Amino acid sequence: MYSSELIKGTLKTIVLKLLAEHKKMYGYEITQMVKEITKDKIQITEGALYPTLHALEAEGILITETEFIGKRVRKYYSLSPEGKKLTKEKLSEFADFMNTMKFLLDIKPKQA
Amino acid sequence: MYQINDRQIDFILDDIRRRGIEMEDLQLNLLDHVCCIIEQNLSQDGDFEDFYKKTIPKFCKSELWEIEEETINLLIFKHYYTMKKIMIYSGAFGAFATLVGASFKVMHWPGASILMLLGIAFMSLIFLPIMFTLKIKEKQNTKDKLILATGSIAATLVGLTSLFKIMHWPGASILLSVTLSIVLLIFLPLYFISGIKNPETKVNTIVTSVLILAGTGLSMVLPKSAPSLTLSKATVNYMRNENLTLNTIKALVKPDSLNQANIETYNAFMQSADKLKRRHH
Repeated sequence: MYSSELIKGTLKTIVLKLLAEHKKMYGYEITQMVKEITKDKIQITEGALYPTLHALEAEGILITETEFIGKRVRKYYSLSPEGKKLTKEKLSEFADFMNTMKFLLDIKPKQA
Repeated sequence: MYQINDRQIDFILDDIRRRGIEMEDLQLNLLDHVCCIIEQNLSQDGDFEDFYKKTIPKFCKSELWEIEEETINLLIFKHYYTMKKIMIYSGAFGAFATLVGASFKVMHWPGASILMLLGIAFMSLIFLPIMFTLKIKEKQNTKDKLILATGSIAATLVGLTSLFKIMHWPGASILLSVTLSIVLLIFLPLYFISGIKNPETKVNTIVTSVLILAGTGLSMVLPKSAPSLTLSKATVNYMRNENLTLNTIKALVKPDSLNQANIETYNAFMQSADKLKRRHH
């Protein structure tokens, strides 16, 4: 598990990237997918995920559709055209950031 | 895999609401999320209530409403830059209009009132509330938040009071007493006590407090000592009541009975009385 501060700064990028690959997803699905891909190393908490999803929706980056499952409602999130553009920007920004951090913190690749 | 029934869904939704989540969107999202977790992880004959009670605390640090608070924070942050821009422009315009309006007022030029009205309205009703909304998020403890809140309210009231006074609107005196009591009895003590404890802000606090005290002192005295207009109004009323025209005054007071020094005063009085009379008719 990484510290929540580290995850908080990257959560937006993670969500955008997942949605770019999977078209539409709902909250629980996103948390499970992240858990699975990172082999439990990154666990997104509900307290961080939903505020981010709502904010991205309000900004017009995500669009939603609802589906009734018996008595409850499931909200699916997907990228808007603007969101697709932002995903590319965020990913390249993050890649650049990682290179800078590697240089700044003098991290050497682990030797096998 | 556990199968959740409708009664349990109602129970969860109720509980989420009880824990302080008010946004409907968020309620539904959390409801579906909890249901998914329960359905995936609880065995068919598991204890629903016990599992639910253990699941919910994992959602947040201590209370569920923190999620809603965080959501609202993020939503406000989205408008942060727009708000900041509006704040700066409204503040600049408000200050400019108030200053120009005040100088127009001194010069008795037209447009003074509307300028001051706009200026003070921009300052009190747009600039200060936005400043408060943006600044409150930077303050960490309750005391700082309280000082900022009372300070903003007091500043808004000071603006409105001066507007009421200048425009001669009714209720100005009541507003003035309310404003002064808030400034002197609540804001100033809070501000002074918290500022003086910190060595970094000590000098600043003392200077600002003295200035505020002087300002409120002046505003208590000044409204009562504006006799010139009242006096000249009384003169005009007296003249009207007594049916005295300028000519009768002139006839009563013979210029040649006055010495040289008095003549100038007499002429000046006649001119201003004439002007006032025309204005009041």
